[in-house]
Amino acid sequence: MDLALQLFFTGLGIGAVYALVALGFVLIFRATNVVNFAQGEFSMVAAFLMVVFAVDLHWPYGWAFLAALAGMALLGVIFNLGVYYPLRNRSFLPVIIATIGASIFLANSVLALYGPQPQVLPGWFETPGLQIGPVYLDSQYLLIMAVTLVLVGFNYWLFEHTLLGKKLQATSQDKEMAALLGIPVATMIMLTFVYSALLGGIAGILVAPILFVSIQMGSTIALKAFAATIIGGFGDVTGAIIGGLALGVIETFGAAYVSVPYKDGFAFLVLVAFLVFRPQGIFGERVAEKA
Amino acid sequence: MTVSRRSFSAALSAGLAGPGLIGRSFAQGATLKIGMCSPVTGPAAESGRYAQIGARLAIDAVNKAGGVLGKQVELIVEDDQTTNPGIVLAFSKLAAQQDIVAFVGSIRSTQTHAMAPDVLKVGKPVMIGGTDPALTRMGNPWIFRFRPNDLYSGSVIAEYGTKTLGKKKWAIVHSTDAFGTAGGKALSAAIAKLDGASVVLDQGYANQSQDFTPVVLAVKQSGADVLGSYFTFENDLGVFARQLRQLGVTIPYVGSPSITNVTALKLAGPALYGTFGVADYAEESSDAARAFGKAYREVAKVAPDNQSSWTYDALTILCMAINKAGKTDPQAIREAILSIKKHQGAEGEYNFDANGDGLHGYNIVRNEKGTIVFDKHIESAI
Amino acid sequence: MSALAGAVAAPATRGITGLLLYATLAAAAVAAALLAPLDAYMLHILVQTATFSIAVFGLTVVLGLCGQINLAQAAFFGFGAYAVGLGTTDLHLNFWVSLALGMGLALLMGAFLGMATLRLGGHYLAMVTISFQQIVTLIMVNWIPVTHGPDGVSRILRPALFESQRAFLGLCVVMLALVGYAVWRLPQTRLGRAMRAVRDNELAAGVAGINVYRVKVAAFALSAVLGGIGGGLFAGGFAYVSPDQFSFAESIVFMTMSLLGGVASPIGAVIGTGLLIVLPESLRFLKSVPGLYLAIYGLAIILIIRYMPDGIWGFVQQSLRRWRPPALTSAPAIELMLAPAEGNTGMALEVTGLAKHFGGLKAVDDVSFSVRRGGVHALIGPNGSGKTTTLNVLSGLYTATAGRIVLGGRELTSLPPHARTAAGLGRTFQNIRLFRSMTALENVVIGAERPGNPIAAGHGALVERARAALAFVGLAGREQELVSSFSYGHQRLIEIARTLAGNPSLLLLDEPAAGLNSSEKLALRDLLKRIAAKGLTILIIDHDMTLVTEVAEHITVLNFGRRIADGIAAEVLRQPDVITAYLGTEPDAPARA
Repeated sequence: MDLALQLFFTGLGIGAVYALVALGFVLIFRATNVVNFAQGEFSMVAAFLMVVFAVDLHWPYGWAFLAALAGMALLGVIFNLGVYYPLRNRSFLPVIIATIGASIFLANSVLALYGPQPQVLPGWFETPGLQIGPVYLDSQYLLIMAVTLVLVGFNYWLFEHTLLGKKLQATSQDKEMAALLGIPVATMIMLTFVYSALLGGIAGILVAPILFVSIQMGSTIALKAFAATIIGGFGDVTGAIIGGLALGVIETFGAAYVSVPYKDGFAFLVLVAFLVFRPQGIFGERVAEKA
Repeated sequence: MTVSRRSFSAALSAGLAGPGLIGRSFAQGATLKIGMCSPVTGPAAESGRYAQIGARLAIDAVNKAGGVLGKQVELIVEDDQTTNPGIVLAFSKLAAQQDIVAFVGSIRSTQTHAMAPDVLKVGKPVMIGGTDPALTRMGNPWIFRFRPNDLYSGSVIAEYGTKTLGKKKWAIVHSTDAFGTAGGKALSAAIAKLDGASVVLDQGYANQSQDFTPVVLAVKQSGADVLGSYFTFENDLGVFARQLRQLGVTIPYVGSPSITNVTALKLAGPALYGTFGVADYAEESSDAARAFGKAYREVAKVAPDNQSSWTYDALTILCMAINKAGKTDPQAIREAILSIKKHQGAEGEYNFDANGDGLHGYNIVRNEKGTIVFDKHIESAI
Repeated sequence: MSALAGAVAAPATRGITGLLLYATLAAAAVAAALLAPLDAYMLHILVQTATFSIAVFGLTVVLGLCGQINLAQAAFFGFGAYAVGLGTTDLHLNFWVSLALGMGLALLMGAFLGMATLRLGGHYLAMVTISFQQIVTLIMVNWIPVTHGPDGVSRILRPALFESQRAFLGLCVVMLALVGYAVWRLPQTRLGRAMRAVRDNELAAGVAGINVYRVKVAAFALSAVLGGIGGGLFAGGFAYVSPDQFSFAESIVFMTMSLLGGVASPIGAVIGTGLLIVLPESLRFLKSVPGLYLAIYGLAIILIIRYMPDGIWGFVQQSLRRWRPPALTSAPAIELMLAPAEGNTGMALEVTGLAKHFGGLKAVDDVSFSVRRGGVHALIGPNGSGKTTTLNVLSGLYTATAGRIVLGGRELTSLPPHARTAAGLGRTFQNIRLFRSMTALENVVIGAERPGNPIAAGHGALVERARAALAFVGLAGREQELVSSFSYGHQRLIEIARTLAGNPSLLLLDEPAAGLNSSEKLALRDLLKRIAAKGLTILIIDHDMTLVTEVAEHITVLNFGRRIADGIAAEVLRQPDVITAYLGTEPDAPARA
């Protein structure tokens, strides 16, 4: 029982990371109908930015954080202008491939600029964790879960209770109509990418103290987060969160009780199962093509 | 858009003379050429750089002492891209140059396996650093190893944990890649040979795992009183070590060489204090090691480790052997290398056996609050 | 997708000349492989290029031709490689037997993966292929008793007679040439045409009689087999394989090779593969900084997609197309025969109690009507009345919630679209759905190829029928032009010709006058009259009342998903309900008759 509890909490912790990255995926998908294969690299770049500001330049943690976020916002802008926007009217396949190219470019640019060694990023808290009964809770994972909750709440408030959120929703549902109503579609898309880059960045900065900052840190997380969005239901924010948490728990239990080396396989098996039996995920809707 | 290969090659042969060929040391007059396949690009590029520095140090020393057979030695490097097809291509490119006398290969066993058929065909000596025991037992007479292979690392870990530390119940944690699997196997086999010792947990994990909670809990539950590990990547080791301490596991821990390297120490910090590691290269283990360390630091400005010590030893011994043989005939060089006994290299004392393995033991080092301290050298019984 | 794929319209004169030219080039390549002064290094590179090219041909088929994304090609390459590797070492089998086993395994797994397309397309399909790839890699690494795990398989043997590096290269080039020929010819075969139709417009392909699902599975299976062949030869060539060579990263490499050269053509595949193998060897100065080469590689992918979506060869082809005159057809077309199918009742179509609900919305609610054989029957109603939904249910694009559909005595209610076409149903779309990368003739030939079409066997008969159909709609002489070069009105005619070529017993026309100007509408009216004069039954939906009153004998009126009138045209149009439905009533003024 103690074992199961510990596994559960660790699973939730890693699941919260998947959930945050998944949120970024879903937002871009809803706005542009595109899957961004470079989402994981957003997390990685942000983590490296933090290392540069907080560790190399010795800035106070808070200022370094803000500077890293500013960098991510800029990256979101450049990404939109360079990768998505010129291809927005083509079919999904060129865009997928372009984002794959972008992920290779980002990962290796960081490698070229910073070198291959993994880096350490200190966590937010001094105490590494809390021991509550039989369960050890890494304090950084607790922070991640708290931040995810806050961000989900913020996201909900933004999209449901502000005019900007409504405009973003309108753009994602019908670009032409939104444009006809006077909504600046290009700006909305830009904002979506910036927001997603920020979300991905926050996820990366939060998880870096645990997983260390390395070139590859983005790609595994991203693939799993993507699986989480499909499990939750593509296009659904709540689904992405729940999908992420569920995946983290399933993976951890699977590793402990079935097989550790095949741990990564669980994510894919669950994904395939959902795709075959329930492609709309837990919360999603079936979308039919208009004849 | 059509560009002929010829114009490409012409345009780029200018670029070829640039930094792409690190380590090319030109000398006046005829030179004795030695080829080296090294990762200039790809994930292991950094370790490739260290390997080349080690090789260059050796060559500079040899050249200063008069060279080989009266000529200065020249090192020719080809990029193996850290991939299997890459090293095959690199080796065949080097092999096409008939005047190359011998070669330095890879520290990675899978790459060595990949180039082995070509090595057999070319029929010239190749110095390697890969630790898969099978590499010197395949019946290929041209492979010579300059690091102790995994049979020895396994037996030394086992011997230290059981005989020196007095622990009997082993938990083994190893990566599922080639290195980890072979190492885990070797360690299990070695433990089986020791009276009273047994393996209570043999746990593989996939590289870049991010979370080791299930593994740590398995170690805890197994009732093991000593832990042995084969980790390939330092970030995995860092996460594992931290989680080990977080979840309250304090049993003695003897790890494969990655546990001693600079990156692992940086990432894991206090989590690795008090752990032991086997290290083929330990600076304080001998005078030769110390001397190499000093020379290396002057050039590379960082601490030396086993990524450069083996190439240093390989080139030193190769040149020694050619001089001893008196000619560049491959068979003569082979016999000369195999006849080398009691040579004090940076990695240890070389006594070549019939298979081409020069080293048969490992150093045990201890992590004293972040500093690696030499404990003792164990020469393997097998 | 058509922009990405590039048009591959082959002139009809390829035939024997093409074969001879190809054979000559292939022979020259083999000779060069065997005789040219090449050192061991070059031989290795060429073997790698040849074997990778074969694998990339797989992507040419599944992605270029059929438009389905496959990010698992490295897994299939690996199946072939491991089959040969384990076969010749552990199992002591002959090389050819091992290769055949590898191809069989790849075929099965490819078909299995293709079955995912039943439910999924687009991103989902991409994710499934990635998951498949990752799972395969995990198995290769961890199933140590069988695959040797990360150690890989070494000392793989080559077939007898081909043991020298030189001879093996020759073998690879021969295989490359053979496979390349098949892939080059594939677009002009029936399966190839079907694949291109699926790529260009899946809905129209289904309605034109193509079993879309089976075509996609075939595409995946073919792609997998090609990957397997490449992998098997690669294993023989390099004598050592390990799991890290068959990972997701390698699938991306194959994809990039395919895109760079041109995804829809085997020549493009070879160009792309060659460049991406040779370039890294030459661009040494870029590799002195770790990561720089790959960063540029990633950037190059983005740039290629943006500026050269058809790849290098596509770019070349487009430039050449300007210089190639359109082929002229000489002989005049034959008369188009339209033979309505026999049935045991006089009704061509009987619809009983048809209903289609979308959740709570009843788009079609208990609609019944019958279409007399040989007449023109119109289905009209205001916007949103359910006309197009009804048509979609009739043609099988939607499943009916309730009701029955009987065509000439055959029950169609639960059949998929291509089966209904096989039973004699033909339809056109409100938004014209032509296969944009093909010529007018190819579009119409696809229509003629529908299963169950009672014409003579053989490609010649199909072409003859297609030409007859095009002549019938008034487009004789322009068969070899791409459909994108026709005006909107003419495209509409091509779509009708495509349906007519399939010899339907009932022709469904969905708003055929939409988007036509007045003279085009007159031409359409005349065409419809000519079709009706040949005895073919027509069911037409349209808003243009002039057209409807001129051609239709019977009219069914829908409003809010319900049938509100049904009968002879003139009477129906005078009914007050119908007038109210279309024109509404004024609140206080009396209703006008």
